[in-house]
Amino acid sequence: MQEREARDQDAAEKWEVQLRKGCLELAILAALWDGRRYGLEILRRLESDSALIVSEGTVYPLLSRLKALGMVRSEWVESEAGHPRKYYALTAAGKRRALEMSAIWTRFSSSMSKLLLPLAKGK
Amino acid sequence: MTITASSQQKIDAYLSTLRRQLRGMNAEEVRDIVEEIRSHILDKAALATEENASGAIDAALATLGSPEELASQYITDNLLARAEASRSPVRILKSLFRWGSLSVAGFFVLLGSLFGYFFGVVFMLVAVAKLFHPHTAGLWALPTDNGDFALSFRLGFGGVPAGGRDLLGWWVVPIGWFGGGVLVMLTTHIAVWFVQQYRKSLLLPRG
Repeated sequence: MQEREARDQDAAEKWEVQLRKGCLELAILAALWDGRRYGLEILRRLESDSALIVSEGTVYPLLSRLKALGMVRSEWVESEAGHPRKYYALTAAGKRRALEMSAIWTRFSSSMSKLLLPLAKGK
Repeated sequence: MTITASSQQKIDAYLSTLRRQLRGMNAEEVRDIVEEIRSHILDKAALATEENASGAIDAALATLGSPEELASQYITDNLLARAEASRSPVRILKSLFRWGSLSVAGFFVLLGSLFGYFFGVVFMLVAVAKLFHPHTAGLWALPTDNGDFALSFRLGFGGVPAGGRDLLGWWVVPIGWFGGGVLVMLTTHIAVWFVQQYRKSLLLPRG
């Protein structure tokens, strides 16, 4: 019986990982909405504002892919820290994509919340 | 903030492995990626207190994952994007070799593609060989020990095989040329299809 519970919990965790993965692109675009940021700033933003725990090794390749897709552009900027930082900013296409995805997300999450209302009461 | 020599060595080792693993991507992209990761590590170290800097660097390297894993996230997508946009068997095979070394799925797609391309090329070679060795090249049925026949593509070097029969005659020229071409094209399409499906299953929906 315990084994069964452990397996169910494992499946739930896997689902959560998939869910996070699916949202990561939107989360990154959203983190860039109000201006350019460098990788570590994006990571901190995701952690502090959304409690999205993302692996650092995932965000950088994803940023590179978003750049290849034309959603963001990047530039190197000298910093007072003594080494240059790579800043990312949304392109026009990236802004459009962020708005589209955010509209879909809002629709989806509000209908999902309605559907989940009885579950919240029953708890 | 000062970085100790041993921490500096760890960073350099990490970055040089990363650089090596990113081979296949263009040099400017590789430099860009390596410098970005370096700046990330230095920023992480700068957040820590003076005496804790080397601990912070160790932690930063650990949370990035191994350089091999990090590189594979960059390279899989980069290479597959190029394979997907390409119709050249050479380009596709090059990307598939790299993919095959990174994932099980890639390995099987590589195997299938090698098989398809190999037979496609054999068909076409036989069609050409027939022109130079009209009596010995072609698709032959050869007797086996247990009284059966085995099919054999022959380029026509050596003599007429004993007891063998040339099945197609001159037809092997158009059939081999056409069939081989179709097989090469089909293999390309199927490989690209697998690449597309795989990319769809990766992190991002395709833009």
